[in-house]
Amino acid sequence: MNLPAPVRWLMHFFRPPHAQGLDLRRRSILVAGAAGVGSVLLVRTSAQGEGRTFNPALIRPPGSAPEEEFLSKCIRCGECMKVCPTNAIQPAISEGGIAGLWTPVLKMKLGYCEYECNLCSQVCPTHAIEALALEAKQKIRIGTAFFDRNRCLPYASARTCIVCEEHCPTPKKAIWFEEVQVMKPDGMPTTVKQPRVDPELCVGCGVCENKCPITDQRGVYVSSVGETRNAKNQALLDSGLGYGGE
Amino acid sequence: MNDGSRREFLKACALIGAAMKLGPFAGQEALAATTGPALSIAHFRSSPVGADAIAAEARRLTQEAVTGLGGMGRFVSKGDVVWIKPNIGWNRVPEQAATTNPDVVATLVSLSYQAGARRVIVSDNSCNPSVACFARSGIQQAAQKAGAECFTMEDRKFRKTSLNGKALPAWKLYGDVLGVNKFINVPIVKHHGLCKATLGMKNLMGVAGGQRNRFHQDLTNTLVDLATFIRPTLVVMDAIRVLTANGPVGGNLADVKRKDTVAAGTDQVAIDAFGATLLGYKPQEIGYVMEGHARRLGTVDFESLKPRRIEVG
Amino acid sequence: MARRRVSWQVWLRRIAQAGFAFVFLYVFLQAEYRPINRTGGHVKFFFLLDPLVMISSWLASHQMASGLLLSLVILGLTVLFGRWFCGWMCPFGALHNLITSLRKGTAKEKIATDGYSRWQKANYYLLGAILVAAFMGINLAGWFDPFAFLYRSATLVIYPALNDGAAWIFGRIYQHDPHIGSFKVISISEPVYEFLRRTVLSNAQPYFYGTVLIAVVFIAVVLLNLYRVRFWCRYICPLGALLGVAGKNPLVQIKRKEDACNTCRVCVVDCQGGADPEATERWKPAECFYCWNCQSACPHEALTFSIRVPGGKE
Repeated sequence: MNLPAPVRWLMHFFRPPHAQGLDLRRRSILVAGAAGVGSVLLVRTSAQGEGRTFNPALIRPPGSAPEEEFLSKCIRCGECMKVCPTNAIQPAISEGGIAGLWTPVLKMKLGYCEYECNLCSQVCPTHAIEALALEAKQKIRIGTAFFDRNRCLPYASARTCIVCEEHCPTPKKAIWFEEVQVMKPDGMPTTVKQPRVDPELCVGCGVCENKCPITDQRGVYVSSVGETRNAKNQALLDSGLGYGGE
Repeated sequence: MNDGSRREFLKACALIGAAMKLGPFAGQEALAATTGPALSIAHFRSSPVGADAIAAEARRLTQEAVTGLGGMGRFVSKGDVVWIKPNIGWNRVPEQAATTNPDVVATLVSLSYQAGARRVIVSDNSCNPSVACFARSGIQQAAQKAGAECFTMEDRKFRKTSLNGKALPAWKLYGDVLGVNKFINVPIVKHHGLCKATLGMKNLMGVAGGQRNRFHQDLTNTLVDLATFIRPTLVVMDAIRVLTANGPVGGNLADVKRKDTVAAGTDQVAIDAFGATLLGYKPQEIGYVMEGHARRLGTVDFESLKPRRIEVG
Repeated sequence: MARRRVSWQVWLRRIAQAGFAFVFLYVFLQAEYRPINRTGGHVKFFFLLDPLVMISSWLASHQMASGLLLSLVILGLTVLFGRWFCGWMCPFGALHNLITSLRKGTAKEKIATDGYSRWQKANYYLLGAILVAAFMGINLAGWFDPFAFLYRSATLVIYPALNDGAAWIFGRIYQHDPHIGSFKVISISEPVYEFLRRTVLSNAQPYFYGTVLIAVVFIAVVLLNLYRVRFWCRYICPLGALLGVAGKNPLVQIKRKEDACNTCRVCVVDCQGGADPEATERWKPAECFYCWNCQSACPHEALTFSIRVPGGKE
C-alpha cells in the first residue's frame, strides 16, 4: 500500500518499530501516575492548605494570585527573586507548605516591597504574579504591620524614634502617632511619640519593619493578614473586599 | 589691623582650626563667613507652570541666591574638589518634593566649574534603593549633563570618624566626602513627623552610614554633632516646592506647595531657621535649630544677619 | 592518542550552544532594576519557549500567559525534526555537556557506559507524575524544569557568590591600598571594579535564605556528569522527556552505511543522548540530541543524518 508520506509519518508515531520506541512499561506509567496523585493528596491534606490556617509569614509579592492558583502557576524559577531591588523576595522553605518550596515570599528583615516598583509582576513567566500597572499595585495589600509594644522603643523604653513613620510610603501615612507622657528610668516625665498602624491605609510593604533599629527582632513587623488576594485572611469587618460571607 | 594682615590672620585660624579637627571644611567656613553676606533669599514672584518654566525658574533662583552672597567665587577656588550633597534620599519624582530639585543641583555644578573647580561630585546615601533614587529624582541625569561625577555610595567606603560630639563620639562617614576641599549642602524643605521639619542639618545624615536609624533617639544632639563636624562651605536651600505634610517621604501631591524660593547661606542654623518659617513653624519650635544656636554653631535669629532679599520673575 | 579532527557539524553545534548560553547569561543579567522600573519581556525568554512550563501551568490552572504560546514553536519543531533543542539550545544542557567533556577514561570504558540504558526511562515517568499532579492542581514542574533549576541556582547561589567574591577581592585591594613603587594598584583595580559593577555585577549584594540546599543539589547534579554522560538530561529532565515524546518520530534520521561500518562502536563514545547510534534499527530518536559526535567520531565516515520520512522505503 503506497500511502502518502505525511500519513506514513503520522502512523509511525503510533506504531514505531519496537526498538525505536519509547519502550515504557505500562505498569511503570501507572506507578508514576499514582506518585503524582499521591503527592497532590499529601499536599492537599496538610494543615496549611487553603482556608484552614494562615501562616503570618506567607507574604507573597503584590499581584500574586490566590494561593491555590498561585501554586498551580508558579514554576519556582526565581525571576522575581532576581529582580527585586531590595532583596525582599526569598525562596520559601516551610512558609508555603511542602508544595510551596522555593516559591517567593517576602522577608522584611532583608528587604521591603518598594512602593514605586512592580518589577516582580513584570518578569513572572506564568503570571502567577499578575502583571500590574504601578498604580494598581500600590492599592494592593500584601499584609498588615503590627507593633510589638514590648520592643518598640517609645513604648518599651521611653525613647523617641518613629523611623517607621518616617519611611512609610503611602500618600497618607499608614503609621500615625500619639504624643504620650511617659516616665523615664530616672523617674522624670518625658513626652514620646508612640506609633500606631492604621490597617486601612497599610499596604504591608514592610519598610517599617526593615528600617526599625531593633535589629534582631523588630519592634514592628508585617504579617499576612489583610492581604488583598485572600478574602478569608482578613481581620477587619470593613476589609474592602466585600461582605460576601467569608 | 588692615585688610591684608586680617586675611593672613584668618588663614592662620583656618589652618589651626583644621588641625584641631573641627571638621574637614571648618577652615573654609571661617574664611567665607567674613567676606560677604551670611544669608540671601531669592524669590520668584510668579509661580510658573510647566516643566521647562519651573526648570528655568530653578536655575534663575539658584544663580540669584549665590550671586546675592557674592558669587560662587567666594566659596570655590581654582583647583578645588567640590562635593555637592543634595537630597537624593527617596525614590520619588521632583514633583513630589521629596528630593532636591535637579535644576538647582545642575546650576550649582555649573557655577562650581565656572569658579574653577577641578572636580565636582554629586552623591548622597539614599534610604530607598539608590539606583532608583538617583534616576527618578532626575538628579543623576541633571548632574551628569552639567559635567559632575554622580555615583551611588558603596558600603565599603564608609570610615569610622571621630566626631567628638555630645551624642556621637564617632560615626561612619563617607570616606570620599572627607577627602574633598569644599562641601555644598543642598537640602529641600520638608515636613518631618519626628522633628517637625527636615532642613539642612538633617540633610547631612546623607553623609553618614551604618545604622543611621538610631539617630532618631536623640535627633537634636546627633544632628548638631554632625553639623558641627561637617560645617559646609555653603548651604543652598531648595524651597521651590516644599512638602508640607506626610514628610519626609511624601507621595501625595496635595501635600506639595510652591514657595518659589531658593536661599543660600553660610550660617547653618540661620538658614534652617528661615526654612522652618516656610512650613509655618517658628524657628524656636525646631529642636536641633535651638541646639545649634545654644552651641553657637550659628544664630536662630536669621533676620539679624540682614539677609539679602532678591525678587525676580 | 591524537585527537581526530572534529566535523563542521559538531563545530556548528558548539557555536549554537555557546550562543544560547550567552543569550541566557544576557537575559539573566538584564533582570535587574537598571535603573528604571521596567524590564523587557526578553528576560523571560527561555521560560516562554519552554513547553513543559506551558503545559504544566495550563493543566494546573486552566489559564495560560499568552507569551507561553511561543513554546508551541519549539514543540512543533521538535515534532518535525527531533530533540535538537537539547543538543543545540538548552543552556543547562550545554553546562552538562561541558562538565561531561571533563571525564577521564579510555574509549573502551566509555563504550561500556555511554550507550543507552534502561534508566533513561526514568525522566519519562517523572514527567508522567508531574503532569498528573498538575492535572490535579499542583504544579511541581518548576522543581525539575531545567531553566527553572538553572535560573534559581544562578539567582540564589552562583550570582551572589560571584558578586561577593568580586567585592571581597576588590575590597581588600582598596583597603590595603598596595603600591608597586609609587604606582597605586587601586588606580587600575577601582576602574576595573567600576566597569564590572556597571556591566555584570549587581547593584547590591543579594542575600538569600536556604541557599545551602540549592547549592548542594546544583553541585550534585553537575558533578553527576562525571559519572554518566549528561546525567540530568538523560535520566531526570522532564522537559527532555516531553521533547522526547514529541520528537520520537523525527524527519531527520540517522543512517549507517553497512558496508563502511566495521562495528568498532567508537560512535558510542561521547554520544550525548544515549541513543545508540551504532545500529540504525536500534537507534532511539527520542533520546538523540543531534550532537553529531557519533558522525564526527566514526573513523570510516559510516554515519550520516538525513531528512526522510521514517517507515517508508529508503
